[in-house]
Amino acid sequence: MNWRTINVDLLDPESPANFAISSLSPAAPPVSASEVQSLSSQIKQLLRGGDSEGALRGALENPPYGGDAAAKEVHLATVVEILQSIKQSEMSPMLSRIYDSEGGVEVLDVLMKYLYKGMAHSSKPSSASTGSMSPQPTGFSQIHSRGGGEGGGQAMSVLLSWHEKLVEIAGLGSIVRVMSDRRTV
Amino acid sequence: MLLLDYQNVLIQSLLTERFSGASPVSIDQVVSDFDGVTYHLSTPESKTKILISINVRCFKELVQYGAQDVLEREYGPYIVAPESGYDFSIQIDLESLPADQDAKDDLIRRTSLLKRNSMAAPFERAFDDFMQRQEEASKFTRESAPEGVREGGEVMAIHYRDEEAIYIKSSHDRVTVIFSTIFREETDRIFGKVFLQEFVDARRRAIQNAPQVLYRNEPPLELQGVRGLSDGSNGEVGYVTFVLFPRHLTPQRRQETISHIQTFRDYFHYHIKASKAYIHSRMRRRTADFLQVLNRARPENEEKERKTASGRTFRVQG
Amino acid sequence: MSQSLRPYLQCVRSSLTAALSLSDFASQASERHNVPEIEAASCPEVLLNPLIVSRNENEKVLIEPSVNSVRISIKIKQADEIENILVHKFTRFLTQRAEAFFILRRKAIKGYDISFLITNFHTEDMLKHKLVDFIIQFMEEVDKEISEMKLFLNARARFVAESFLTPFD
Repeated sequence: MNWRTINVDLLDPESPANFAISSLSPAAPPVSASEVQSLSSQIKQLLRGGDSEGALRGALENPPYGGDAAAKEVHLATVVEILQSIKQSEMSPMLSRIYDSEGGVEVLDVLMKYLYKGMAHSSKPSSASTGSMSPQPTGFSQIHSRGGGEGGGQAMSVLLSWHEKLVEIAGLGSIVRVMSDRRTV
Repeated sequence: MLLLDYQNVLIQSLLTERFSGASPVSIDQVVSDFDGVTYHLSTPESKTKILISINVRCFKELVQYGAQDVLEREYGPYIVAPESGYDFSIQIDLESLPADQDAKDDLIRRTSLLKRNSMAAPFERAFDDFMQRQEEASKFTRESAPEGVREGGEVMAIHYRDEEAIYIKSSHDRVTVIFSTIFREETDRIFGKVFLQEFVDARRRAIQNAPQVLYRNEPPLELQGVRGLSDGSNGEVGYVTFVLFPRHLTPQRRQETISHIQTFRDYFHYHIKASKAYIHSRMRRRTADFLQVLNRARPENEEKERKTASGRTFRVQG
Repeated sequence: MSQSLRPYLQCVRSSLTAALSLSDFASQASERHNVPEIEAASCPEVLLNPLIVSRNENEKVLIEPSVNSVRISIKIKQADEIENILVHKFTRFLTQRAEAFFILRRKAIKGYDISFLITNFHTEDMLKHKLVDFIIQFMEEVDKEISEMKLFLNARARFVAESFLTPFD
């Protein structure tokens, strides 16, 4: 046992390292996976009915703050699906309408959280697939353009354009609130 | 500048100077060449007798493949007993040089090609062997050729560097020259791969009559049964195969072919290093650019000098 | 600039601008110390939620904010072995000169190619928007530089191979 490597701070209940981080966020009621699932199907119902704005609002007003990782994952998938179904030209008007409505700022903050989560999410598991880096095939030319078209690029660009529009309407404060809000989606 | 010279420039310039009729001086100089070859130029007896000795790592192997004959053909009357510590020596007496200038130049040229000529023997032997086999093979159709003719000759190995070797094998329709090459460092390995890929592709793309070039990490089939080969499993060793076709092996062209192919390894590595140097200088320049951008983030502290309309400056009293 | 690059850089720009709200903050763990909290990680309550901006799985930026420091890690696109080695060489070249770059971290965070560490002291004596400009320009230029170096290498290899083989022709 090497005494030098022990982090004594952890043994001290008064130490800042042992700060109870949960005390910073308001208690969120626990949400079960089945509740998220049923909400998700309700929202998809709306989406199929063509009410994408209603679907988006519905999804963003009920983020499963109290849910476990799996429940949050399901909700993320729902939100991303809604986002992908909305046309580029409709983004800005829809965001403005939500922003001007009651509680709209809060809703857009949640949307911002989902945009970042969406980008973090899809860049995680797929890294295993790029494991083998091969030299180029013995083609006539070794010179390729470094153009895009990589995996996940399509989904990312949807989130990136949403992000751009959202910042235009909700401002940088929205990003700051994503960083500082302890309630994660 | 792109291609390497075949001769040793130091020997060439030294002899040119000596032969020009300048007053004799004593010389004692060790000259290095590629592949760990060293020369010793000295005047042990008198200032007019220049002794040129060469040390080649694989001289013993070269002798086996007939190096002595080639060297005797090239340097006949000048050969003397090898200096101790060296493999082969020639002595040139400045007082008995050939009279006419062309012959002098030829002697200089030949002397400066000492390394090339030492290494040429196995190539010449392989080329001769090829001629014989070709003649023999022409008596048969493809199918009926006896085993010996189709198989081709022995593989001649020249271990010209510590971990690298050249293998030469002749057969009835080609001579195969294989360079084993080693890359210790990851960067070299990848750069090498890029370069070799272009060697492989060049023939398909532009130069139809060039020798075929093949590159692989495992020993090629020609080297089956040769001992002491790395299996290339760690990716450090590569085998570059040049297939020389009859058109490269004609008596008119063979000397040029031998000289040129000998320079391959050094040429190849020289350009890898040059590319690395260039990329390094690019990175240096780019880094300077980045620094400049970053420094723009510093607010300018010093106040700009203000001038009156008449061009006088004044200072705010603080 | 390619179509998908612009929103990516725009997103990094706004995220960075938001994250660079730093203030002087003395260490709570040891008296009279002032350390970048994101590196020390000794007090969880001063660390904020990290943000990831990604363009695709090979290109992303990780922004880890805290009360007095922000750590930014960039993953540069590497499509093959050559780019891999070029990126490695280039980032190594830069990190060895970290002294001159003030905000460059000597070692990249795992999974990324290069990291920057911006503290409140940097934002105090440098202009924040120019720092953001720097990071954005860096991301742009690095990509361009890697492509150019690769093109150069291929072009040179081709030229060299042809010059060597031409005398045989």
